[in-house]
Amino acid sequence: MGGRSIKQFQKRWQRSKYLEGLFYAIGFGGLVYLLTHNLVHGVIGFIVSAAIAVFVLRPWSISQENAVSYIDAHLPQAGFSSGLLLSPSNELSDLSKLQQYRVALQLQPVLSKLRPPHNLLKATLIMFAMILLGLAGRFVFSKVGNPLDGNKSTKEQITFSPKDNLSTSIKIPELTGTKITVRYPGYTGKSALDTSDPNIKAVQGSSIQWNLEFDGGVQGVQLDLMGELIDFAKIDESYRLTKNLEASGFYSFTFKDSEGNNYVSDLYSLEMVKDEPPMVQIEGLDSYSYFEFDDEKRLMLNTSISDDFGIADAYIIATVSKGSGESVKFREETIRFNKAVPKGNKRMDLQQPLDLDDLKMDPGDELYFYVEALDQKRPSPNVARSETYFAVIRDTVTDMFAVEGNLGVDLMPDYFRSQRQLIIDTEKLIADKPNISEKDFKFRSNELGFDQKQLRLKYGQFMGDETEMQAAAGAVSHNDGETEQSNEGGEEDLLDEYSHKHDSDNEHNLVEEHGDENEGQEAEDPLHDYLHNHSDPEESTLFEKSLKAKLRDALNIMWDAELHLRLYEPEKSLPFQYDALEIIQEIKNSARIYVHRIGFDPPPIKEENRLSGDVENITNYDKRQEFEYQKSFASTREAISRLESLIQGKKKFDAGDSALFVDAGNELAQRAVSEPLKYIKVLQGLRDLEKAANRSKENYSEVQKNLLSVLPQIEDIPMKKTKYYSEINSLYLKELGVYE
Amino acid sequence: MNDGVVFLNQNLLWPVIIVGLVLWVVFIWKEWSQRKERRFYVKLIASFLAIVSLCMIVLKPSTYQESERGKGIVLTAGYSPTQLDSLKSIYKRIKTEEYTKGRTLSLLTDVDSIFLLGHGLEAFDFWQVENKSVAFLGSDEIEGWTVISRNNEMILGEPLEIRAKYAKPKAGHWAILADNAENPLDSVLFEETDAQVVTLSAEPKASGKFVYHLLEKRGDGEVVSNEPVPIQVKEGRPLKILMVNTFPTFETKYLKNFLTEKGHEVLARTQLTKGKYKFEYFNGASGSMYGFTSENLKEYDLLIIDTDSYTGLGRASKEAMEEVAESQGLGVFVQAGEGLFRLSKSQSPFQFNRDYVTEIVLGQPAQTLSKYPYEFKETLRSQEILMDSVAVAAYLPIQKGKIGTTLLQNTYQLILDGKEALYAQIWTQILNNIAKEQESMLKWTAITQIPRRDEPFQFEVQTPLTDFQVQVNDDEIIPLLEDVLVPNKFTGVVYPKKTGWNQLRVFSDSILPLSYFVYEDEELQSIGQSEIMKVNYRKFGSKNTFDDSASILNKELEPVSPFWFYILLLFSLGWIWLEPKLSY
Repeated sequence: MGGRSIKQFQKRWQRSKYLEGLFYAIGFGGLVYLLTHNLVHGVIGFIVSAAIAVFVLRPWSISQENAVSYIDAHLPQAGFSSGLLLSPSNELSDLSKLQQYRVALQLQPVLSKLRPPHNLLKATLIMFAMILLGLAGRFVFSKVGNPLDGNKSTKEQITFSPKDNLSTSIKIPELTGTKITVRYPGYTGKSALDTSDPNIKAVQGSSIQWNLEFDGGVQGVQLDLMGELIDFAKIDESYRLTKNLEASGFYSFTFKDSEGNNYVSDLYSLEMVKDEPPMVQIEGLDSYSYFEFDDEKRLMLNTSISDDFGIADAYIIATVSKGSGESVKFREETIRFNKAVPKGNKRMDLQQPLDLDDLKMDPGDELYFYVEALDQKRPSPNVARSETYFAVIRDTVTDMFAVEGNLGVDLMPDYFRSQRQLIIDTEKLIADKPNISEKDFKFRSNELGFDQKQLRLKYGQFMGDETEMQAAAGAVSHNDGETEQSNEGGEEDLLDEYSHKHDSDNEHNLVEEHGDENEGQEAEDPLHDYLHNHSDPEESTLFEKSLKAKLRDALNIMWDAELHLRLYEPEKSLPFQYDALEIIQEIKNSARIYVHRIGFDPPPIKEENRLSGDVENITNYDKRQEFEYQKSFASTREAISRLESLIQGKKKFDAGDSALFVDAGNELAQRAVSEPLKYIKVLQGLRDLEKAANRSKENYSEVQKNLLSVLPQIEDIPMKKTKYYSEINSLYLKELGVYE
Repeated sequence: MNDGVVFLNQNLLWPVIIVGLVLWVVFIWKEWSQRKERRFYVKLIASFLAIVSLCMIVLKPSTYQESERGKGIVLTAGYSPTQLDSLKSIYKRIKTEEYTKGRTLSLLTDVDSIFLLGHGLEAFDFWQVENKSVAFLGSDEIEGWTVISRNNEMILGEPLEIRAKYAKPKAGHWAILADNAENPLDSVLFEETDAQVVTLSAEPKASGKFVYHLLEKRGDGEVVSNEPVPIQVKEGRPLKILMVNTFPTFETKYLKNFLTEKGHEVLARTQLTKGKYKFEYFNGASGSMYGFTSENLKEYDLLIIDTDSYTGLGRASKEAMEEVAESQGLGVFVQAGEGLFRLSKSQSPFQFNRDYVTEIVLGQPAQTLSKYPYEFKETLRSQEILMDSVAVAAYLPIQKGKIGTTLLQNTYQLILDGKEALYAQIWTQILNNIAKEQESMLKWTAITQIPRRDEPFQFEVQTPLTDFQVQVNDDEIIPLLEDVLVPNKFTGVVYPKKTGWNQLRVFSDSILPLSYFVYEDEELQSIGQSEIMKVNYRKFGSKNTFDDSASILNKELEPVSPFWFYILLLFSLGWIWLEPKLSY
């Protein structure tokens, strides 16, 4: 009998251990449940922690010996002999039997009161602490937004609510299963995505399939895509709709239950991501490359191409232009990269040497090239191209300044010499010097100087310089007879002797001289009608900046050339002339696109015939046209005032309001496609008003506030106002008129 | 003091004197035995004094005094305690009473001069002090908005413009105009001054009755005050326009497109050749128009006519045009051409000065527009149409109608430049000023600026109608009082029962509503106070003394304190009691 009580004690001990483990487990399981709000997680946590706790505590390891030693240690009545109780009495000596009997007798009342060692209090405290911790964590997460399950309850599920207040006897149909499958276009290489999140973001051309399952009878399940209603097809027990994603937008679901009550879901976004065209970049190359004829004419093309879903192809487009002016010819070639372009890579670095000789380019030819890349988008791929680069083989041959010699008419005046001609003439003059008289030499030198000036002025016009011809001409005096003037008279007088009066328009004395009166005519240069008017330097657009600087240099050099010619030093002038020639050639080779414009002169009208036509057959003409003017966001604006009267409680929500808010939503949705973030709140608010439960003053105000904040200003329109004319005012206005 | 002594109980004078004399006689008879002794005379005097004091206690002698009794202090909201204290130190026991609006002041029964402290009495309580002399001392404590003036009613598209004055603004605070949903629209930063005038404007985005808000916010965004600004936005109506041109121009074409696309009914006539025209009918316009007659012009709201057509008008047409403008209010807009500036005074009503300026800068961002090198000569009648403080056009009223023109030329360039908004703004501004205004049959004016619940709201109705009724709540008819001098002008009073929007209706052939906004008591307090103060100053003047005539009346009988008579009585009786004991 004593043995049984010891066993009971042992059992109690073990039970308390189990209980302790259970407390720990409940605490941990509760913590998990509170944090995740998922019962399954909580149960798993409970079981796992229970197992661990029991394994750690090992209640089964408490043996009778443990119990006995504990009893011996804690009960003096046991007299360190409680172990005897376990021994069968027939194995004991008499003394032992006596002791056994005594101990059994003494222990009986106290043993049941002896508590086994336990940590139950600690376990309970820990349990409550964990649960509290869980509650605190729950609170914190709900404030911060639980990353664990926040999306689940709000976003990742479609929730329906009835459109009208229900007076229904039947159960509200519930959405039991949502499966949205997004199939990306094949070329993207992405696998289909299964989700239950109705906010979809996918690449253009993706196919989206919604699978909805309901319990309870539903009918007419529809997708409302910004006013466009698309029916779901019923397949077995689920409803299915497949749609290709072609534009961003918003959508919601609607369905009817068997009694015909309408249900509508929240508004979800459908975001289309455009497949970006590839990015093509050519690295380490100047946009203009120049080669001399005898250079090695090779270009190294380093291209890096990237695309968001993979590149399909890339190649070089090279255009060679030959010739100049109207005879320019173009030849386009597609050059493949040496290395084959692998399909579907997202990023590629390609290299390709370009040999201009292989392209059959001659000096003076130009090469324009760029790299074109295609991505895998279907049906039509996105095409991207790099910037255009130029390669030019310098031309040293075509350096004649003929103002478009290939034009049928040669507009070049006889006296107008090119720089090259000037050089030739100057060289000839130097060569002739010993054979001619000094006066003749000086005369010819001066004449060359004049030609040099003319040439400079011609080029000056391209720069937009003022024509200085008349100024120079006016400075020359024309007193024929006075050839030997004193030298103090200035350079002009000195020149006069030698000049052939080229500097005046009246070179051949065809017209009697009238002093400065000729200036006006002289200003008109023969090219005037065929050229842009570049008299204003601001309007001079013919040349790039660097060209302008070059031309300016050339003009400055021409000044020096002219100076030396005028000083009868053709030798000194020659180097300047060469310099000028070289610069002019460069300029001409880099900018060669001028088109002559030929004006139109209408035939003159005879004054006496004007306005004398026969108008008998002319009749009145009537035209009729109607414009449907709708001010911008008319429904939205009306919705605002309707909401105001709803807020003020002047009217009840009715079907008309519902229709108006739908219209307003559709109006805004068009705008929302471009800026979804700004509008989704408004649209959602408007959509929420469909649901009976949301029709409260607070919601009305909220929606109205959002509407007002996104609505643009009304455009200006003249409008008719009303005014009251009182008798006195009318009288006053009348009197005002009389005494005016 | 030369007014002498007056007994308050004058009616008891003789009975008291007789009783006193009888008493004295009895006393003398009682003491007659001692007549030989000196103490008899002393006793006589003592008893006489005792009896006289008794009489005086009964009769209450009093004197005229610069009395405090006729004056009282009425304290209204916002009074300054120091002012009250100094008044109380001058007039010791002056009565004071706090004023509650609408309640009768009890102190008025025994005072006839009142010091009015604080912001003053409500106008509807003035009757209480009608016969009293009132010194209105006022208060300078008002802080906050003191004036909010605005256009209460506007057409959708017109701006709401608020000019408000804030007394004692705190630097760093913001005045913010917010719409009915409290989206901010415009704001001004306060400076440290005595009073700041702020101008806020916004364009309502929808029509209806709204309560906008004038907020005062601290720098950190906390709202300090929030005053309602009720406005009514109405839909405008499209115009009926006639455009007459001798030849087509881009200016006309774009103006025509602008107007027709906005839904206005436009009939455009362009001359093709002699006697032949091209008629364009837009948005339901109909009929053909050759010469003007008052019959065919009167249905139009606006006539847009170019200079050549204007100068080429026949006499009959011109007279018809002017007649319709005068009587019907037709607006005539003359599209300026060079010719217009050379017309003589008899040919054109406009007068110009050459100013040689050919450009004008308008809009935000600034946009340069070409103009004719003239400016409008300022005459008595001419009214300029301003945009950004620049005169872009002008008109002359012709009785009800107007004739106007603009100096701008080639405004269509704005459309070509993609600045449609500025183009629309310019033409809206110009045409709105010139076009005919729909004549209404009735005009409401609220006389009470800040209507409050259960307080009188006075309004004015002007109408040529003779048979009409003003009603509230569908059935209650409001009696109207016609103005003595001005016919067709009526005033009436209602007592609004609820705050917020209230409505009055005129029942006649048609129903015309007047909506007015009734403010809560705590709203617009500072404005209400400053209004009250203005009304009180107007009523009582600003001098803080009473009239002389009033102060003579105010001399009051002040009874001599009976204390002295009691003392005298006590001493006399004491002597009479003590004297026999002394003799032993």
